[in-house]
Amino acid sequence: MEPFAAVSYVTVTLFGLFCLVPLWMIVAGSLTDESVLGLNGYSLFPQPFSLRAYELLFTGQSLLNGYVASLFITVVGTILSISCTAAIAWVIARRLPFISRPLTMFAYVPMLFNGGLVPFYLLVTQVLGLTNSWFAMILPLMLAPFLIFVTVSFFRQMPEEILDAARIDGAGELRIFFQIVLPLSKPILAVLGLFYAVTYWNEWFTGLLFLTDPDKFPLQLILQNLISNVTNAASLPSSAGAAMAPVYQLRFAMTVLTVGPILLAYPFAQRFFVKGITLGATKG
Amino acid sequence: MTVTKPRAGRAGSRRHGLSSRDSLVLLLLALPGIAWFLVFAYGPMVGLVVAFKAFNIRDGIFGSPWNGLANFRYFLMSGDAATIVFNTVFLNALFLGASLFAGLVLALMLNEIRGGPYRRFMQSVIFFPYFVSPIVISIMLQVILSGVGGRGGLVNNLLSVVDLPQVSWYTEAGAWPWILTIVKVWQLGGYTSVIFLAAITSISEEVYEAAAIDGASRWRMALSITVPLLLPTFAVLVVLGVGRMFFGDFATIYAIVQDNGVLFPTTDVIDTYVFRSLRMIGDFGTTAAIGLFQSVVGFVFVAAAVLVQRRFHKESSIL
Repeated sequence: MEPFAAVSYVTVTLFGLFCLVPLWMIVAGSLTDESVLGLNGYSLFPQPFSLRAYELLFTGQSLLNGYVASLFITVVGTILSISCTAAIAWVIARRLPFISRPLTMFAYVPMLFNGGLVPFYLLVTQVLGLTNSWFAMILPLMLAPFLIFVTVSFFRQMPEEILDAARIDGAGELRIFFQIVLPLSKPILAVLGLFYAVTYWNEWFTGLLFLTDPDKFPLQLILQNLISNVTNAASLPSSAGAAMAPVYQLRFAMTVLTVGPILLAYPFAQRFFVKGITLGATKG
Repeated sequence: MTVTKPRAGRAGSRRHGLSSRDSLVLLLLALPGIAWFLVFAYGPMVGLVVAFKAFNIRDGIFGSPWNGLANFRYFLMSGDAATIVFNTVFLNALFLGASLFAGLVLALMLNEIRGGPYRRFMQSVIFFPYFVSPIVISIMLQVILSGVGGRGGLVNNLLSVVDLPQVSWYTEAGAWPWILTIVKVWQLGGYTSVIFLAAITSISEEVYEAAAIDGASRWRMALSITVPLLLPTFAVLVVLGVGRMFFGDFATIYAIVQDNGVLFPTTDVIDTYVFRSLRMIGDFGTTAAIGLFQSVVGFVFVAAAVLVQRRFHKESSIL
């Protein structure tokens, strides 16, 4: 083997470990007995092994509430995002006279200039009145101009003959979009779905701004509360026995359960992300 | 936006052969998106008038009295302006440089790994941190730097193994630009390498075969063939990064630093400052003024970046 190849194997493997060790420490910590965690503050091997935190979390109400909130935001948000992104992207990609170009500029300008936090905050709280609503975490993220343009460049590669054939057969614009374009666009729809879904699942900034009712907190916001004060973990399981709650272990377990769904979906979804980035980076 | 009635029937290109009814239908299709842009992208731009007002909730956005440039003066006099502007640009420059460098090196090295499954596996592993939320990153960092209850932590235990003194990281402001840079490399190194790898795969295999015949080593090829051919991609990423130079990475920084004032001198960026002033002090006027200042300077950066990119690399431009 050439020296550079050998160095590459070693370096890439080390970087891989660098990426995985923090995750592993969280998983190991969540399975380690509180007595050790309280002493070292972390654990590399789950010893002594303990499932107490998970037992407590699964019997309490907080975890369920958090999952319901996160799932609602992610599922409803992703559906809205995909539909609106695909629709506006198709109208731009159609190259309609007097419509497509202005629409391109219309969607492009916000990438250059935005109003900033205060007007946005006033809009959501005063004008739309979305305080304490999950939609305050969905609507602001509904469209990502960048993903619109990625979708446009995908649509523009659609073979013109198919569309012409449909037109000759008398299909209307709506029919063409829903019955021909969308079924042919599954790869880009998957890319959109995954990017939006991860964004919604990981979102916490809008929650910090607009949610005050702890019962409505999605998982990320529950975790945020654990960062500012580890003893908040004691309130995660039902109140009984909260005084003896393993607060450190609970924090780790909650983190694992928050990353869990992404970790599970990742092996299947990864290739779509790579495709999406590549599409975006090289513009089709 | 005005809708001009398109000519009916086939006009020139077959793509333009649309009846006005078809146009209307398509416009309806785009309507939810248009409405979203009007409300969430253009609405706040109108709301920027708050920056020139002594805002109070009772009188609302348009009812509050004007106060000219007082909000801007207040911000510039506060002494924080220079710090947060410097931090924003300095941290962004560090993040951009480090993640591009890491991504480039990782891509070159991944390219040397010929075993398919191992390479795919490592690629998945180093790409994964991109999907970890800032809050989770913050929890991991606490474990590594200070332990859960502020006891030790992994780094300190390693330090004590080699007889170095323990460091209370969360009170050590000077170290944080570098700590945050390492976090960014962890988060974006793999992601950036995917972009570079995509560019590497488009390089023709013949160039390498020719070099091999001339007796070049793999290292030589990486340095003299791959790197120069990656420069356009590199340039595009630099330009995009410079365009975002004035917008701090709010999520990661705030999730990690939270309201730990000891670290503000080196970690407070415009976005975190604005967020705090809004949430803690509730000073809408000044906060909006800072936001407007950021948007305007940011716009200059972005516009310059777009122009440079279109000049040198038209085909990768978004428009």
